[in-house]
Amino acid sequence: MKLRVSHILYAAALVGFILLPQLITVKYYLHLSVLALVWVIAAQGQNLIQGYTGYVSIVQAGFMGIGAYSTTLMGLHFGLPVWLTILLAPFVTALFALFAGYPSLRVKGHYFAIVTLAFNLVIFIVLMHATDLTQGEAGISGIPKPGREGGWLDFANREVYYYFVLIIAVAMTALAALIVRSRIGQTLIAIRQNETLVGAIGIAAWKYKLFAFVTSAMYAGLAGALYAHYQSFINPEIFGLAQSLDAILAVIIGGSGTILGPVIGAFVVVFLPEYLRFADSFRLILYGLLLVLATIFMPRGIVGVVGQLWARMAGKATR
Amino acid sequence: MTKRLTFTTLTAMMALTGGMVMAEEKTLDIGVTDALTGGAAVYGLPQSNAVQMAVEEINAAGGVKVGEDTYMLNVIAYDDKANPTEATNAVRKLIDRDGVKFILGFCCSGATGAVASFIANEDAVMLVGNAAERSITTKEIANLTRTRPPADYTGAAAGTFVAQKGHKKVAVLGALDVGFYASYVDAFEAELKKAGGEIVTRESFGLKDRDMSPQLTKIRELQPDAILVVGYVEPAAFIYRQAVELGIDVPRYGFTSGSEEQFLRVATSEQMEGVWDLRPTELTLLSASENGVAYHANYTEKFGIAPSPSSPYAYDQTYALKHALEAAGTVEDTAAVAAALREMPIPAEVVMQYLPVDGKMFDANGQAYTSNGAFQWQGGNWVFVQDLPSDAAAYSAFLSTID
Repeated sequence: MKLRVSHILYAAALVGFILLPQLITVKYYLHLSVLALVWVIAAQGQNLIQGYTGYVSIVQAGFMGIGAYSTTLMGLHFGLPVWLTILLAPFVTALFALFAGYPSLRVKGHYFAIVTLAFNLVIFIVLMHATDLTQGEAGISGIPKPGREGGWLDFANREVYYYFVLIIAVAMTALAALIVRSRIGQTLIAIRQNETLVGAIGIAAWKYKLFAFVTSAMYAGLAGALYAHYQSFINPEIFGLAQSLDAILAVIIGGSGTILGPVIGAFVVVFLPEYLRFADSFRLILYGLLLVLATIFMPRGIVGVVGQLWARMAGKATR
Repeated sequence: MTKRLTFTTLTAMMALTGGMVMAEEKTLDIGVTDALTGGAAVYGLPQSNAVQMAVEEINAAGGVKVGEDTYMLNVIAYDDKANPTEATNAVRKLIDRDGVKFILGFCCSGATGAVASFIANEDAVMLVGNAAERSITTKEIANLTRTRPPADYTGAAAGTFVAQKGHKKVAVLGALDVGFYASYVDAFEAELKKAGGEIVTRESFGLKDRDMSPQLTKIRELQPDAILVVGYVEPAAFIYRQAVELGIDVPRYGFTSGSEEQFLRVATSEQMEGVWDLRPTELTLLSASENGVAYHANYTEKFGIAPSPSSPYAYDQTYALKHALEAAGTVEDTAAVAAALREMPIPAEVVMQYLPVDGKMFDANGQAYTSNGAFQWQGGNWVFVQDLPSDAAAYSAFLSTID
């Protein structure tokens, strides 16, 4: 295998992520990094359906909610160990996604976006109103961390949880890269480019779209489960429409249809609003403005801009 | 003799100078996290303002005397939009980056619940204001106290009051997907049923809904004796207005804690006439104590707007913290400050009318209790009409039984 510049960059980024807790002196930033890594997983899922398949889904936070509540409730009601509930959460989410995806994917474009948006609203309303199960707006607190109390690894320690989520985020990013490079991934890209043509050559596009949608939901379910056990508290507010839009933005800002894009985008959507706290009540206006400007002037996201700059520099060097 | 005098004088001067050096004036940062923007800012922003005002008063009066030192307070306030993740981030920032150990504010239950879920593991003290969800003070968190009583404590008193008015069929229209509003209605219903009454319908609305005429039309068809409105100020004001517009001519009871100015942005005084608000005996000018009148005047002068009735919960937190710091004699040992909070009598400066439990402001759960009151809109103002039956000691005992 030929060693490319991108491989060196990936390796450097990985080393950076591994060293990050040692470089951070204020634990608040480590907390944000954990949240950002959770969002990396959710955004990688979003990227599969949005970036590679070309279908903008507005239900990713809703699926995160299903993952978060399923891991919590399985632990509370069935006494299952946390490791097992985290593993099962993506599969529970997949069942819901299968149910939601089959009818949703019969429509295309804006209609698909609207149908998924409606699903997010339904999930939110159910989480709010099924109070016997979800405790509604009051939320569920005291969600346990993985591992035993006083065990070898203390997951209440943010550094330990950071590495735990980092390992999963790297694994899920690698899995996304494998999917994209496989025949399935190439078909998804073909669907994004020209779905009619894909159908015309005898490929059942709906199966691939459903695969992308369900896989995307599984990513979200896993992210939600990790979020629940990290924060030890969940309520429906966390899994609303605004958070689904954040997942879309993470993909767009980072670079839609690229593997690195959602990683960068996830860190942007978590860190940027926090850095803008100095602006007080203008914070969200500023945040919105920055995102609008970024979307207009960087349609290919940060990865696209950096790629263009790199190509120019490389071009100059070879001249 | 002269030498001895000089030596004595010098020694005394050194002692005094030494004493002066020891009694340094320092700054203590305290944090506020609250909804400063968004729908819940009607509660969060006045709370944040109230903390700021209390801090300025405390500083002007000489600061907080902790042992040999005097501390001037400095407020660092962050917006949490009443969102659990934002609140967690804000508190993490206050504790980890800003080095804050005392955090006030907390108007809203979801965001407060998220912080309450981890605060027991932090070297910090959390003082909750307006958030009314009961579970916040049922977990025996040693470093958490709350100035506002839980919603069901007030709901039960309200149910008794409405039953005493002779109403048998009550229609409820509320933000029932919000936990503490639902618990208010549950407690209300339990007391109403004891008197032979019933809730004929429970209609719900979202916090962003503004047109409640479909629910009100249904309620009108059911011909209730009274309606009960529970929710944030703005939607509640729309309901009161639309009830008049739809010709619903039955007594209107509510649980909103909105100020006159907040209601008059949506409804006219005529449309509001006769509406009851059954809530903790919060700040209403006509019922206020001397402290309350002064608070109202100072707040209005400082911020150019009247304070919301629930904002003194945060003002009172600040004074409670001041006295706890002085009693504990430390700003470093948060466990000692948290323990001092639980042991303190009601400070003289507070605005709300608290009911002590065993002579203390906060009970063993860290919960404070105000009396509950029936307020009625009369001629453009909320007028305090009467106390509602409120047994703080009994409720405190009940709260201790909940896991």
